[in-house]
Amino acid sequence: MDYMDMDTGDNEPAINVRDSNDLNVNFILRNVDLSLANSLRRVVQSEVPTMAIDLVEIESNTSVLPDEFIAHRLGLIPLTSGNIEKVQYSRDCDCDDYCEKCSVTLSLDARCTDERSNMHLYSRDFMVSNRADLSVGNPVIRDPQGKGILIAKLRKGQEIKMKCIAKKGIAKEHAKWMPTAAVGFEYDPNNLLRHLDLWYEENAKEEWPVSENGKLEPTQEEQEVFDFDATPNRFYVNLETVGGVEADRCFQQGITVLQNKLADIISALSPELANNNPVDDYQPRSPGAGGDDYGNGTSYGGGFSTHGPGAQSSYGGQRTEYAGMTSYGGNY
Amino acid sequence: MSNAPPRHELFLLDEGQDKVEVKMDTRVPNTAVFTFNREDHTLGNLLTAHLHKYKDVTFAAYKVEHPLKPLFILRVGTDGGISPKDAVVRCCSDIITTLDKVSREFTKEMELFKIARGGESNGV
Ligand SMILES: [Zn+2]
Repeated sequence: MDYMDMDTGDNEPAINVRDSNDLNVNFILRNVDLSLANSLRRVVQSEVPTMAIDLVEIESNTSVLPDEFIAHRLGLIPLTSGNIEKVQYSRDCDCDDYCEKCSVTLSLDARCTDERSNMHLYSRDFMVSNRADLSVGNPVIRDPQGKGILIAKLRKGQEIKMKCIAKKGIAKEHAKWMPTAAVGFEYDPNNLLRHLDLWYEENAKEEWPVSENGKLEPTQEEQEVFDFDATPNRFYVNLETVGGVEADRCFQQGITVLQNKLADIISALSPELANNNPVDDYQPRSPGAGGDDYGNGTSYGGGFSTHGPGAQSSYGGQRTEYAGMTSYGGNY
Repeated sequence: MSNAPPRHELFLLDEGQDKVEVKMDTRVPNTAVFTFNREDHTLGNLLTAHLHKYKDVTFAAYKVEHPLKPLFILRVGTDGGISPKDAVVRCCSDIITTLDKVSREFTKEMELFKIARGGESNGV
């Protein structure tokens, strides 16, 4: 079995980083399939794990906001998720409920005693159980005053006392675990492939000015003949995180998550391949950590195994028949 | 609220549930139907699009039967040069290799970007 047009010299995946800081990375991804670029985008948004408050034990709440209202707000506060791979999922942990291996405890204890003004409760007011490791489960604070997010306001005599348990999770379960804010994703900005049908009043050309990315590619006028076989192969990506992880690291974690997903499929389909070379110690390569060891390769290509205990069931066990299975042969 | 499916069922397999179920199509030669449990378009589209690149694969398509069912169904037909199952395994491992290249390239380019920006700020 061979490729028609993949892996031939110049067609290796290429990236051009245009801008980067800890919140944001902007790059052009070239020579990969649209499906691969899109799957990376989806995975980065919905399956890269982060920390978020998941359980709130309310001891006292005499503020004007109801318990569940505050609990919901607490869940949405971004927490640092740098060393997330050191945290276990609570469901995989040996403990009964939660412990320091699978959670971080953030406590709030505030009472307003001021006659004249309301007390503002910010995310910096959390007492975090593991102050030592700032990279996991601490509130992300990025405003110049260093206050963080306003959680509630208290009048004189009102009090809030809560214990919040932050756990590891992914955004497929709840959007509060999303590592990203916006992920920009664009290809073929001048619509040479005609994937879009431009809407216009009178003249599409005047009403659709060439975009910033469009200036980097041929315009429709410069296109001589329409290429029916052309496929998109330049993707303009802008990945912005909410602050819990650095943007470049987030992208690398997305790649790893997608690789693990594929490795799981391989081990489900051919367990004999899976057992000869476990890759459980595979770590995402963090930028700046490795210097020049790019040629190293990882333990992937050869053997595959699952990641995460409990995720894999034995292959060849009982199979479920779905109602729709018998009748759909012809209707693709 | 009470009949909402548990949210983890989008990605966690049930007790004893297989990740992938394979069934050969008895009416068409070299054709198999795969059910990927707890997976979605992320994998379905990725595998389908890459299977189309293989010479021996004559047919590949997927569908998510229903938005509330956390699974997709992939149908793969080949010309006999490779079994559908081997084609999917091969496809997965090729994508993993490509992703490795993307990761390495990204690491390299980030380093270069940091060097270039460092040089700029020193020059100004
Ligand atoms: Zn635990």
